[in-house]
Amino acid sequence: MKYDIVVVGGRVSGSIASLYASKNDMNVLMIEKHQEIGTPVQCAGGVSKSFLDTLEIKLSPDIICSKIKGAKLHSPQGDYFTSTNEILHGYILERKMLDKSLAMKSAEAGTDIMLKTHVKDLIINKGRVEGVIARNQGKLIEIPAQVVIGADGIESQIARIAQLNHGYEPIDLVSCAQYEMVGLDVESSMMEFFFGSKIAPGGYVWIFPKGEQRANVGVGVRNTEKAAIHYLEKFISRFNATKIELNVGAVPVCGPSNKTYGNGILITGDAAGQVDPITGGGIHLASICSKLAGEIAAEAIKNEDLSADYLQQYEQEWQQKISKNLERSFKYRQIFDKLNDQDLNKLIQFFNKNDVESLSTLSLWKLALGFPKLFKSLKNIL
Amino acid sequence: MIFEEELCGYCGACVTVCPLNLLQLFEFKIHKKHGCNTCQRCVRVCPMGAIKGELADEI
Ligand SMILES: Cc1cc2nc3c(=O)[nH]c(=O)nc-3n(C[C@H](O)[C@H](O)[C@H](O)COP(=O)(O)OP(=O)(O)OC[C@H]3O[C@@H](n4cnc5c(N)ncnc54)[C@H](O)[C@@H]3O)c2cc1C
Ligand code: SF4
Ligand code: SF4
Repeated sequence: MKYDIVVVGGRVSGSIASLYASKNDMNVLMIEKHQEIGTPVQCAGGVSKSFLDTLEIKLSPDIICSKIKGAKLHSPQGDYFTSTNEILHGYILERKMLDKSLAMKSAEAGTDIMLKTHVKDLIINKGRVEGVIARNQGKLIEIPAQVVIGADGIESQIARIAQLNHGYEPIDLVSCAQYEMVGLDVESSMMEFFFGSKIAPGGYVWIFPKGEQRANVGVGVRNTEKAAIHYLEKFISRFNATKIELNVGAVPVCGPSNKTYGNGILITGDAAGQVDPITGGGIHLASICSKLAGEIAAEAIKNEDLSADYLQQYEQEWQQKISKNLERSFKYRQIFDKLNDQDLNKLIQFFNKNDVESLSTLSLWKLALGFPKLFKSLKNIL
Repeated sequence: MIFEEELCGYCGACVTVCPLNLLQLFEFKIHKKHGCNTCQRCVRVCPMGAIKGELADEI
């Protein structure tokens, strides 16, 4: 068994990287440790409207559960502000079906897929990654490859072994728990977010409607004494609805890894921290970056240059595409971190009193002067 | 450290914060190597509260 490219991880990043590598005439293997692609789900399925254009793949209508036209933001004291700003427009997807359908597209393009196979180590020779060592059906097997792409998510061992990502600090992770629930009285085109130190310290609660009184109700918290599931149970006690699925996971919100390439190796998606620090959204960014990973790995092989020098093109290109937005989001997150419940109450009141969506940046700044603490944080950060 | 496997949701959060890389998440099993320094970073991020830090012991 020998491949041009081995992709570790078989969800959104892995499938897209392997799809584009296969489309570029490479002999590709994608390895997934689970026996099924896409489960257990670790996602709420929210994507922006532009995601479908980025993907360049037509999704079957069953994957798109609902079309989102706005959001309700709830303050700690219980007021809410409704926005239908275009930046909130998007979709709630059935994530496990998305992952499976992307894997199918990749397989159609020629990718081989190994399931229930755990990649344990990299084959490294004179500082070059030359394949993987995996456990399959009780046996350790060596699979040589010209380039390895680590798309193995937050727990990425590939990034660690290749010394590209040394793992995260607890403060850099949002720890999340989510129930998919039925019998919920929610508007099918509006997301809802709830803020407050009692509801979700360091994060927020989300309700992402999936149509027909079904929704993902989740909470993300940071650096808390009690686990995310505790806050989730507390929040949902207000509903008379039924749980049909439990999902847990963590999202890195500190910005991407410093280095995402090496000799014969690239990392992508959550493995590379390519997640928006304010929304925690990773699907869209993963699809942009992993497409580049697949294409550039293929180019490197065609040009017979698997060196880090060549593969750094990947980092340059993904940075060009997403770095600016990620940096801005990171700054917003730092502002958000500084707001206490009172600030959040005032902010939501302020949004309600002023037609925020039609205000210019200058008038927003002027209004921000009425919030000394917020203004101070903005000044320090921007 | 006590690890309550029954509570685990197999998400990998604990794996990524362990400074000694002692934890490995198989399909539905956590493998723990020896050498835990009881830093409790894994306890801090576990969404299920599956790792308890009260008792200092090898995980
Ligand atoms: C609760 C929650 C809600 C979220 N909601 C949203 C949202 O609404 N919108 C959004 O855009 N993003 C959301 N995210 C973030 C999003 O889910 C991730 O950014 C995205 O899944 C990253 O995809 P990935 O393919 O890089 O990694 P993953 O989806 O984590 O996939 C990695 C794959 O690699 C496999 N793997 C790992 N190690 C090995 C190994 N050694 N050998 C073989 N296989 C291996 C895993 O089994 C897994 O299948 C959410 C995250 C969480 C936790
Ligand atoms: S408590 Fe032990 S297992 Fe947990 S993160 Fe620290 S060293 Fe790793
Ligand atoms: S963080 Fe908790 S739920 Fe997630 S894999 Fe570790 S022990 Fe299991």
